Amino acid sequence: MKAITNILFIALVFTFAACDQQPAKINIREGIRSDDLGNNIVTRPVVYAFSALIGEGIEIDEAILARNDTGYLELNINGHNRSYNTKRFRYKIEWLDKNGLMIQTKTSTWLPASATGKSSFSLKAVAPRVEAVDFRMDTKKWE
Amino acid sequence: MKTRTTVIITLAGLLIAGCGSSETVNIDVVNDDGKAVMGLDYRDFNQAASEMIQSMISAGALKKPGGGRYVVTTGRVTNDTMQRIDTDQLMAKIEEELMNSGQVVMTSAVGGKGAPDEMIYEMRDIRDSATGDEFQQDTLAGKKTLIAPELSFSGKILQRNVRYDRNRQQVEYYFQLRVTDLTTGLRFWQKESIIGKRGSNRSVSW
Repeated sequence: MKAITNILFIALVFTFAACDQQPAKINIREGIRSDDLGNNIVTRPVVYAFSALIGEGIEIDEAILARNDTGYLELNINGHNRSYNTKRFRYKIEWLDKNGLMIQTKTSTWLPASATGKSSFSLKAVAPRVEAVDFRMDTKKWE
Repeated sequence: MKTRTTVIITLAGLLIAGCGSSETVNIDVVNDDGKAVMGLDYRDFNQAASEMIQSMISAGALKKPGGGRYVVTTGRVTNDTMQRIDTDQLMAKIEEELMNSGQVVMTSAVGGKGAPDEMIYEMRDIRDSATGDEFQQDTLAGKKTLIAPELSFSGKILQRNVRYDRNRQQVEYYFQLRVTDLTTGLRFWQKESIIGKRGSNRSVSW
């Protein structure tokens, strides 16, 4: 029992050591970059397994809304993938008018997206109507 | 023993009946969780159209200097795939959304497949024939009333089949669309969207 606790504790430490590294502007992937304490040939399988065990996945860091030169609302979503595996998903953005009512558009359809392991990703969408003032977004697994 | 045999036969019967089910169901086109297919289906057209529309609007390609809306026609959009596709499956969505965006107005007087609405010319034929006398003259379209398009959409959908490994093939679909200024011949906007599928060699993509 004590041994299991120790292994879990070590895995947790390694995971947090690896997780602290926020995706940088320049992402040098493992296998190319130098190994560190939380990620080397010995600890890697443990860290990977623990990451999968706790179910790490996609996280959204910010959603920026701005009107472009032509008066249409543009949405930029920045996020990162906490997991070590590539996460493929689908997303749908619906545009809302000033009354909070959904604007029916052909662009509100499930679109594919992909984020490689331990890296940043960005999504961009443009509202096809000038009436749009807000948005809502839904995601689902890539079937 | 007899009971067990009866149960097994009954279960087998139910299983076969279940497997052979060919019940027709309506597709949930909003949240379709159905499997991907090697050919192009409506989800692929929705995706390609959405990407095209957003790119066109984002680029500001249809913003008319001085305000107002461009008059646009859809020229030739060719199907260079192995499937029977009506390219209107793509263009109808794009035209609809761009018209709703308030940036363009489509003309039904000319198009790559001929006039989208033949009635424009049929009414003019009537006007110029003896039948035209049956109509109130001020309700018939006069000459030189049609407005020529300023921009044209044109493009192509093409397919490439690549052998991936012994058992699988890769099918690549390229959706290419252009916007051309019909006065100057200059190209205002262009985009290519790629949809790729990988599946069994036994799947047919035409």
